[in-house]
Amino acid sequence: MTPKYLLKRLGQAILTFLVTMTVSFLLYQAMPGGPTEAMRSVILSQSGGSVDIDRLNRMIQLYTNVNPDQPMHVQYFNYASDVILRQDLGTSFFKNEKVTTLIMQRIPWSMFISVYALALGYSLSIFLGVMTAYREKSRFDSTVSSLIIGLNSIPYYIVGVVLIYFLAIQNNYFPTGGRIGSGIAAGYNPEFMLSLVKHAALPAISMGALATSGALAMRGNAIRVLGEDYIRVAQLRGLRETRIATQYLGHNSILPMYTQFMIGIAGVFSSAVIVEEVFAYPGMGLLMFEAVKTQDYPLLMGTLLVFTAISLTAIFIADLTYTLIDPRISVGEE
Amino acid sequence: MRTSNQNDSDPDQDVVFEVRDLEVTFGTNRGESRVVRNVDFDIYRNETLGMVGESGSGKSMTSSALMNAVVSPGETSGEVTYYPPDGGEPISVLDLDEEELRKFRWGEVAMVFQGAMSSFNPVKKVRGHFKETLEDHNRDVEAGLERARQILGDLYLDPDRVLDSYPYELSGGMKQRALVALALILEPEVLVMDEPTAALDLLMQRSIVSLLKDLKEEYDLTIIFITHDLPLLTKLADRLVVMYAFDIVEVGSTEEILYDAAHPYTRSLLNATPDLNAPIEEMQSISGSKPDPVTNIPGCSYRPRCPMADESCAEAEPPMADRGNGHRTACFYHDDVSDEIPIPAMEAAEEGGEGE
Ligand code: SF4
Repeated sequence: MTPKYLLKRLGQAILTFLVTMTVSFLLYQAMPGGPTEAMRSVILSQSGGSVDIDRLNRMIQLYTNVNPDQPMHVQYFNYASDVILRQDLGTSFFKNEKVTTLIMQRIPWSMFISVYALALGYSLSIFLGVMTAYREKSRFDSTVSSLIIGLNSIPYYIVGVVLIYFLAIQNNYFPTGGRIGSGIAAGYNPEFMLSLVKHAALPAISMGALATSGALAMRGNAIRVLGEDYIRVAQLRGLRETRIATQYLGHNSILPMYTQFMIGIAGVFSSAVIVEEVFAYPGMGLLMFEAVKTQDYPLLMGTLLVFTAISLTAIFIADLTYTLIDPRISVGEE
Repeated sequence: MRTSNQNDSDPDQDVVFEVRDLEVTFGTNRGESRVVRNVDFDIYRNETLGMVGESGSGKSMTSSALMNAVVSPGETSGEVTYYPPDGGEPISVLDLDEEELRKFRWGEVAMVFQGAMSSFNPVKKVRGHFKETLEDHNRDVEAGLERARQILGDLYLDPDRVLDSYPYELSGGMKQRALVALALILEPEVLVMDEPTAALDLLMQRSIVSLLKDLKEEYDLTIIFITHDLPLLTKLADRLVVMYAFDIVEVGSTEEILYDAAHPYTRSLLNATPDLNAPIEEMQSISGSKPDPVTNIPGCSYRPRCPMADESCAEAEPPMADRGNGHRTACFYHDDVSDEIPIPAMEAAEEGGEGE
């Protein structure tokens, strides 16, 4: 991998980020009323209409890093320089706290269920894909394949609602919401860990359902790889079945899906917005959802930018690590 | 049906494989496809046995059956008996359980086949292939890798460079030789080479052949060489097996087959190969269509293409007739064949001195 390639990729990622930031900034401004207008009305209603206009503008600037009196491009320039140079995303005017602080508090939780969901979804995809390929056209294959097609045609949040209904409301296997049972002390004790896992299980499963869409593609790849000469030679070489299934079949079937898997990380992560709302799981997604409901413009913008940054990072990492799993691709030589 | 006592092993020979009544069948929607039919033959220890025939004549299937490695959903039946060196217990290959079969493969019989170019896992270094083979057969990895280096060196490869390469970094010829080295890593008794030269250019083919001769000496191998390239075989093999329509039609020493072929098919093969020093792409020059594995022709399977066929050929299947010196052929008129189907090239060669 050449440094030139690295720089090029990094440059592309940064450019994408800037474009996203600009577009969303402009879109918010273009919304009927605009964010400052909306905020003005919120503040006015809170203070009973007794705020003079200068003070109002100062407050808005304080929260959003944007002075409504200035022309649009100056507003944009100020906002962008705050984000990029000072990592300052403004202040939530609903929660009255720094947006970055709020996000930092929530990110680990979203990360937790996302990683949980990805681990579940991807290992299930790979496992089922390989198994159905091994038994192509069997009863097992057709059952599993139809189940996966079914699962993928149901939106993940519906899966979430159904899970809550059956596993948390009808039966008490899992809690209906929250991050941790009440009255459990945080720390490395089994009780806390168990509660953590139990609370995260249902959101993770419904997000993981999203990630099982890879199973069918995996099945197709594995069927193709099973026909390759090196699989037959491996069998003739008397290699162990488990080695053939993982290092030969598994590895080679994942290759074409690797980038897709990495981009899927972004998809799963952003599904957190709805899943966290369904499960009342206070992560970053729920934060964003609340921001939408309360028209908390700085918070909304902030969470959006962080989601974008995470997605771009995932894709960037996918690009850089691809050579590790497929030696034939020598990055930078086009 | 042939009686099998005619085919009992030659007591003077040290047999390494004994194949009896071998059948390979596939179910198809047109009916049962019999791609190997009632095949009997022996493989002698330390010989090079050449198997020749059109593509689809059953030679690859027959050799796969030696490792019970016919691809699913093929069904293999009959007897394949392997005699280990130094008088160990004979092994009935088709009766081995999965784990025994796994150990048997590559440990006793290794196979290099057509797809040498894609026989390596593309995401694994060549060294990894050697290592995992040693590991999965519970061999000493260090000693094995040392041996790998030596074999690679014998094959005129730079051992460390090859071991440290990914398959895609090697040329076709290098991959081919690396695969041969991989086949020898567990010191097998028998090496099956199924069209190993098909994808190689002429120069490479010939150098592999001379390498094989050296290897055979050095590693005490029995080699089974399968090809449709008859000229190549005549330079390499001690004995030849000629297959036609899913069965063996003639067996004998290379000399016997070259100068005294007693089956019309073998003779037409030789005629289709005017210059034994030049390879041919594929033996298509024989008139008539290829046999179909689903239909069963009553009588002799070569009848539709045979210039000597008469009514009696349609009535019964010709038995394997013994012509002495281990030369056997399945034709009713084997004594008349040399007069009926002359081979001009061969006669010219004989007149102009012996062979080469
Ligand atoms: S048995 Fe008859 S048909 Fe068959 S090869 Fe001999 S002569 Fe030809």
